[in-house]
Amino acid sequence: MPEIHVRLFAGLHDLVGRRELVLSMPDGATIGQLRDRLGEEYPIVQPLLSTLVCAVDEEYVAPEHVLRDGEDVALIPPISGGS
Amino acid sequence: MFAITREPLDPRPLVDAVRRDESGAVALFYGVVRNENMGRSVRYLEYDAYEAMALKKMREVADEVCAKYPLTGIGVLHRIGRLEIGETSLLVAVSSPHRKEAFEACHEAVDRVKQTVPVWKKEVWDDGSQWIEGYVPEVRQ
Repeated sequence: MPEIHVRLFAGLHDLVGRRELVLSMPDGATIGQLRDRLGEEYPIVQPLLSTLVCAVDEEYVAPEHVLRDGEDVALIPPISGGS
Repeated sequence: MFAITREPLDPRPLVDAVRRDESGAVALFYGVVRNENMGRSVRYLEYDAYEAMALKKMREVADEVCAKYPLTGIGVLHRIGRLEIGETSLLVAVSSPHRKEAFEACHEAVDRVKQTVPVWKKEVWDDGSQWIEGYVPEVRQ
């Protein structure tokens, strides 16, 4: 089962109380499934999931992206940099 | 010059870094922390970032803008952590031979930074706080 390193920022970091997680996902699982899984394990983040985009290796990816073992996935809520 | 830093931003080294002898104009944008948003009084802002990716995306914005305008230099600095009212969170500097391109490219670079760079701000009020949801970044196909 692929082990996925997950990074949390901003509101997700506050809600989960951690900056990083490791999730074991089934073979062939996608980013979309990782997002669903997160909602199951941490119901408190449910409201944030619909607008969540993920980044793999520092690039935004679609929900269909298939996860590989050891992959680094950053959960990116809507961004609000600048002023 | 590109950086994500917790230290106060200083525009002078950035302007020096983007100016060339071929530059006739340098446009410099300051994003500063204001004391209200949507009618609510803001005490301070807290910024978070995915630092490595933010740097990468800042460089991509610069490449995009450089491909579109005849520039002689571009740089982006973003501060994170706690920022008080009046402090500078973002500096974008662009140089070009003539002013028109410098103004336009600087404007576009600021817009693109806000649309693609993974940085977040939390508004802190007297009676609570909230992470601000701005742009959902586009996924390149």
